[in-house]
This record gives sequence, C-alpha cells and structure tokens, in this order.
Amino acid sequence: MRLVFYTGKGGVGKTTTAAATAAHAAARGHRTLVVSADPAHSLGDVLGVAVGGEAGRPTEVAPRLAALEVDARATLDPHWGRIRDYLVELFRHQGIEGVVADELALLPGAEEIAALLAVEEAARSRRYDVCVVDCAPTGSTLRLVTLPEVASRALRLLLRVQRAVATVVSPVARVVVPVPLPGPEVFRDVDQLLYERLAKLRELLLGDATSVRIVVTPERMVIDEALRAHTDLALFELGCDAVVMNRLFPPAAAAEAFFEGWSRWQEERLAEVEASFAPLPVLRASLADDEVIGVEALAAHGARTFGDADPAARLCAAPRLRFGRGKGEYRVELPLPHARKDALDVAKVDDALVVRTGNRRRAIPLPRKLAAATLVGAKLDAGTLVVRLAPAASGAR
Amino acid sequence: MRVVLLTGKGGVGKTTMSAATAIGAAAHGHRVFLLSTDPAHSVGDALGRPVGARPVEVAPSVVAQEVAVLDEIERSWSEIQDWLRGLLREGADELVAEEILVFPGLEELVALRAIREVEALGEFDVCVVDCAPTGSTLRMLRFPDALAVFMGGVFDLERRAARALKPILETVGLRGLVPGDEVFAAFERLVSDVDDVRQILLDGDRTTARLVTNAARVVVDETRRSFAYLSLYGVATDAVLVNRLLPSAAQGGFFARWAAREHEELAALEAGFGVPLLRAELRAGEPIGVEALAALAREVYGARDPAAILQRGRPLRWRRVGATTRLEIDLPHVSKEEVEVAARGEDLHLRVRDARRAIALPASLVGRSVQSARLERDVLVVTFA
Ligand SMILES: Nc1ncnc2c1ncn2[C@@H]1O[C@H](COP(=O)(O)OP(=O)(O)O)[C@@H](O)[C@H]1O
Ligand SMILES: Nc1ncnc2c1ncn2[C@@H]1O[C@H](COP(=O)(O)OP(=O)(O)O)[C@@H](O)[C@H]1O
Ligand SMILES: [Mg+2]
Ligand SMILES: [Mg+2]
Repeated sequence: MRLVFYTGKGGVGKTTTAAATAAHAAARGHRTLVVSADPAHSLGDVLGVAVGGEAGRPTEVAPRLAALEVDARATLDPHWGRIRDYLVELFRHQGIEGVVADELALLPGAEEIAALLAVEEAARSRRYDVCVVDCAPTGSTLRLVTLPEVASRALRLLLRVQRAVATVVSPVARVVVPVPLPGPEVFRDVDQLLYERLAKLRELLLGDATSVRIVVTPERMVIDEALRAHTDLALFELGCDAVVMNRLFPPAAAAEAFFEGWSRWQEERLAEVEASFAPLPVLRASLADDEVIGVEALAAHGARTFGDADPAARLCAAPRLRFGRGKGEYRVELPLPHARKDALDVAKVDDALVVRTGNRRRAIPLPRKLAAATLVGAKLDAGTLVVRLAPAASGAR
Repeated sequence: MRVVLLTGKGGVGKTTMSAATAIGAAAHGHRVFLLSTDPAHSVGDALGRPVGARPVEVAPSVVAQEVAVLDEIERSWSEIQDWLRGLLREGADELVAEEILVFPGLEELVALRAIREVEALGEFDVCVVDCAPTGSTLRMLRFPDALAVFMGGVFDLERRAARALKPILETVGLRGLVPGDEVFAAFERLVSDVDDVRQILLDGDRTTARLVTNAARVVVDETRRSFAYLSLYGVATDAVLVNRLLPSAAQGGFFARWAAREHEELAALEAGFGVPLLRAELRAGEPIGVEALAALAREVYGARDPAAILQRGRPLRWRRVGATTRLEIDLPHVSKEEVEVAARGEDLHLRVRDARRAIALPASLVGRSVQSARLERDVLVVTFA
C-alpha cells in the first residue's frame, strides 16, 4: 500500500489537497483511503459528508474511495485488552469505577497513536492501494511521524526496567505494596500494542512505499516553514516526493485590478520554491473560482493539479541514508536539504550518531561495525551531511 | 488583568488580529502585553520587527514576547527530566527523556503559564494572546482533565508504591528507578501550575476568547465547532472576527462566486453565535507593521475598546431551578446526535463531536443518574434524577 502524508502550515490547503489527491486517485482506479490525523478534523467538511467513523471504521464516500476522521477513543478501544483490564483494576482500587477508555483517550499522545494505528490497520487489511493522510500542521506532523521511533525507544527501556522490577521484586512487593501490580500478561500487551506495532509502523514509514508531500502557498512565511519541515523530515529519514504550490492565481484572477501586485510576486515565489526544493517536483494547484467542496469538485481539482501524473505514484525518489566505506574509514551520508551549517551539530554517543538541526535532534542507530568507530569529521556537502568515522582498531587520527 | 485569547483555524489571521488588537487596546490607553504561545511564532513577522523569548517594547505601551516552550519546560521541571534521564540512562536514549516530556498539550499550557508571570508583574492592564490553531488549543484545554485523570488514578498509587518499594529496590541496587520525593514535588508543582492557568482561562470576568475566521464554508464549519468546544470547556467567547473579506472592488469577475459564498457564510455567521461579529477586509498587501495594524484595529473594532469584554457570558453553568440543579452549556450549531452525556461516579462525562470532557459533579448530584439531556435553542440542558 502506498502511504502519502500531506503536511504544511495551517490553512495552506492540506485537507483540500489530500482529499483531492484521494478523490482523483480513486477516479483513476486505485482503491483509496483518506485519513484525517488532525485532531481539528475538517476532512468531512471538505468532502461534504460526515466521516466520523462508526467504531473507528472508514466511511465509503464514492466508488473505491473511503474516508476516516480518526477518533482516539473509538480507535484505541479494541486495542487495550489487558492493559485496560489492569487499569480498570487500578482505578477501582482507588475507588474509581467505570470505563477507562474515555480517560485513556484524554491522555497526551493518544491521538497520534490512534492515527498511526488506523494507518497500520489499513496497510494490514490489504483493502487499499493507497492511503492518503491529512496531517495536523507542520510541527504536529513531525511529532506524528517520529512517534514510532521516539516512543519505541522510550518504551523498550521502560519495559525492560519495569519488567525487571516486576519479576525480581514483585513477589515481595505484592505483599508490601498496597497496589495491584501489573502481571507479565499486561507487559506482553503493552509490548504487543505499542512496541511491536510501533516497530512495524516505523518500518512502514521509512520504507519506499511512504512519502510526504509539503503543501505551500506563495507566501514568505509559509515557504520558510516548509523549508524547515523538509530538513526535519529528512533528519528522520522521511522522504518527500513533491511540493504542492496551492492557491496560485489563474490568469483570470490575476487580471482583477485589486490583485494587480499578486501575480507578480507569486511568480517570484514559485521560481524560488522550484529552485530551493529541486529536484522535488513542484505541483501547481490553482485557486479555484469557488471553495472546493464535495468528491466531484475535489476529483476535478486533483486532475487539474496532477495532470498526467499518477497521484498515487512516488513522484520523486529521495536520496536515502547511506553507510559506506572508503580509504580506511567509514562514511555516513544523510541527506539534509536546506540544512545550515551553523544550526547543525553532530556527535557520537555510544552506538548512535546524534544529529541536531535547528531544534530537532535525532539519535541515529549505527550498524554494528560502525558502532565502535570514532568520529573524525562531518561536513555539509550539497545538501548531504557526510560524517567520517575511523574504525576502532586504527583509532582516531 | 484582562486576558484576550485569539484562536481559529490555521492561516485565517490570528497573529495579525492579535497584534492589531494589542495595538488598538494601547490606543485606548491600556498598557498591553502581547504574548505568542503558538509554537510557530509569527508575531515578529506581523509587527515587522524581531520579537523573542524576552519581552520587548514594540510600540508605545505594547510589550511583546514569544514564549520559548522548550526552555520553559526545562526550567520548570528539571527534576522530572533528571529522573527520566536517569531512568533512560543509556547514552543516546537520554534524548528520549526530553522528547517524552513534551506532551502534546503540555507545550501550549506551559506557554500559557506565561500569562501568570505577566500578571505578577502588575504592569499591564491587558494580555493579548496569539494562540496556536484550533487543534492545539483544544488539546491545551483538555490537558488539565488528562492530568487530573493521571493524578487521580495513577499518581497517588505511584507515590505509595514508590515509598513502599524504595527499601526493597535499594537492596537489589535498583534505587534510581524509583522517583524521589523531589520528582513527586515537581509533578505536584506541574499540577498546580496547570490549575492556575485553568483558573485564569475559566474566569469569564477577565478572560474571553475571540474566534478569528474567514467567510468560507470549511473555515466557518470549524469556527462553529470551536465555539462549541470552548463552551464545553467553560471558556467564554466574546466576539467572532471575520477577516479577509473581499473588498467591493474585488467582488466581480473571477471572484464573483467567492463573493456570493462570502455573503452566504456571513449571513450564517450573523445568525449564528449571539456574540458581536467584527469584520476586516482583505488588504491589497500584507498588513505588516504598527501603522497598518493600527488601521486594521480601527476597522475591526470601530469605536469599541478592544480590551473590553465585548459580550458577557457564562457558557457553562450549574443552575438551580426549583429544588433541582441542572447543567447548561451554550452549544450553538450542535445537533443532538453530536452530544453524549453520562454520569459516572463523581463525574459527568460529556462528548460533543470529537471533544470529550469529564466535569466534576457538585456533591449534591454525585450518584444520581442523568434524567434528560436536551438541546433547547442552542443550549444543552442536563437534568438529574
Ligand atoms: N486551491 C484552492 N482553491 C480554492 N479554495 C481552496 C483551495 N485550497 C484550499 N482552499 C480553501 O482554503 C481553506 C483552507 O483550506 P484547507 O484545505 O482546510 O487547509 P488546511 O487543511 O491546510 O488547514 C478552505 O476554505 C478551503 O476550501
Ligand atoms: N486582512 C488581511 N488582508 C491581507 N492580508 C492579511 C490579512 N490578514 C492576514 N493577512 C495575511 O495573511 C497571512 C496569514 O495571517 P496570520 O495572521 O499569520 O494568520 P494565522 O496566525 O492565523 O496563521 C499573513 O501573511 C498575513 O499578513
Ligand atoms: Mg486541515
Ligand atoms: Mg499565527
């Protein structure tokens, strides 16, 4: 299943573009699912039908087109299993009765987890050829797509610790501690729900079948945010395959006297975006003469935007993280478009390479051979971070 | 100190309107603090001059600040972070400790905590807050509930467990696992901070929200829901600001259908909320800088004082009618199917579309079941058996 995320600054047209992509893909014959992962859902508004999802299930809105606004409670409900039983017991112990699922859905992060689970479920069901995800604005998108990595690292450690405590200590603790302690089956479920699933999701997100598209409008601030997002996504190995320039004034609009200046500077912005994002294709989506609402209008808008291109195809193959060797040293090459040298930091911590750009940071796990190597140098070379490592035996030179 | 929160869908003009509101309030003689809590800060862009984490005077009687959320979290809850770091002390995994502390929702709340600090200064009459888009704002409003759940259900247990477990863990050399009292104290501080912010948000005598919108269907749909959600969380909305209306010179030709749509949506908005509807036209260029913003404020507010409470309301109220107590919530544009109400234990669980909330029942109603929940002219009325 192809997985396409749409991100961008608030209001640029993410939902419209995601829905148009999906409607057009369905019209071209792909079995398509469009998912809203923005807690402020507006997918239903744009499609012109309610897609709240009975029990978290997608709604059929046209031939081959299903849509879903993810509801954290409905999606998480069937997954809790024994974790939920344990929490019910825990809460009851505190004198709190009643269904816990409601409370759990209130917890931070529940929405992201629910959205990702919905996507993973779609992939596993094999019912769809393509899944289009309408994300929350840029910052939250990053939190969404990096969640599997961050959460699984955190969980793995917490689980190890907790399990050690539970097995070593709990026979004693059960007597001493006035609290129901989770048994091993609870950990198994946490493992199952979060860790294994998250690992699968991570694979899915970093694989070739997934790409991110950034929606922009011809405005300075919007473009600046898009450039930062492109760098941040690359840091986490999430490949972008296109930029959509939305709300371009068609000639008839630009001809209006009031908007005289606009067409000139939007040409400038367009040229700028094409130059800075190259080699990514920049798709042009015009401002329609009315709001684009309803499947039919969306499919037509999608057809205009994509022209002959298949909206479900990978529109550009982004370069990937590479580990290589040459002249007695190892090289790690991480594509980091638009990264600035003064906002870049590289360090080796244990068996990981820690890279910071701006205020994002990632610990990239190194393959075993490189894990013991020492950092010799790092430089930015035409949008790629090249890190040199010396093998452990020869030491740093 | 008055607090005016501006929120709305992304790109509608929240930042522009926040800056204009601040400058307009200063023109009415108020000492104004303009606070940006949107992690994607752009107050500086609207003012056409840099604004940062330190308050800076941007116009006569207007001081502006963009809250640096990560620094705030680090500064306030370093104990919690240290403990997590210790727990995850395995080299690079230390990074994770920082990441998991930045819960969605917490970010925005931490930013809002800055309101308290502004108030403590005692130098300002009004604080205008440029909030994050609707989604994040909702999370922020919900966060105190989530935290209450955590504190009520898990926290006390953890503390008791920690105290009991500590001696055992010490004997097996796993002492660092159990959070110390300083960590629990830090958690408690977090809770009390969050509670303070909540008090400010819910105090309709000083705090009101203004919803910024555009006259387009998709944007108005979201505005309607936001209005209902704000009500559900007890935040009073005192005006709706419709921005980017096509000026008459731009309503023909290509834009004829857009103009027609605007008329339709404006009519719906007018019929809609029972709060003043203020308007601003689309400008030929971006309204950037103090002068342009001052002009925009005059257009939006006319002779009104932007710092005034433009409409008084208590969107969520317990009322005694005869011998019974009932709950009323203003929920315009919400249909019956979109509402769910159930009493559970000490709480009343409410759902309005995808927003959920648990409200503590007054002591006299604990244990009673919901007798009826009806929508009467845009007001949800819940009565108890
Ligand atoms: N190409 C377009 N032509 C006409 N209207 C558009 C176009 N793209 C977006 N819109 C309108 O702009 C507003 C914001 O779009 P939306 O897709 O909701 O943005 P986002 O999801 O990024 O917040 C909506 O009213 C939408 O109908
Ligand atoms: N009335 C208006 N006329 C013209 N441009 C406007 C108007 N209001 C806002 N803008 C411009 O629209 C863009 C988005 O506005 P902004 O205030 O940043 O929105 P938000 O904070 O809701 O994302 C900015 O470039 C801003 O200058
Ligand atoms: Mg959207
Ligand atoms: Mg803004």
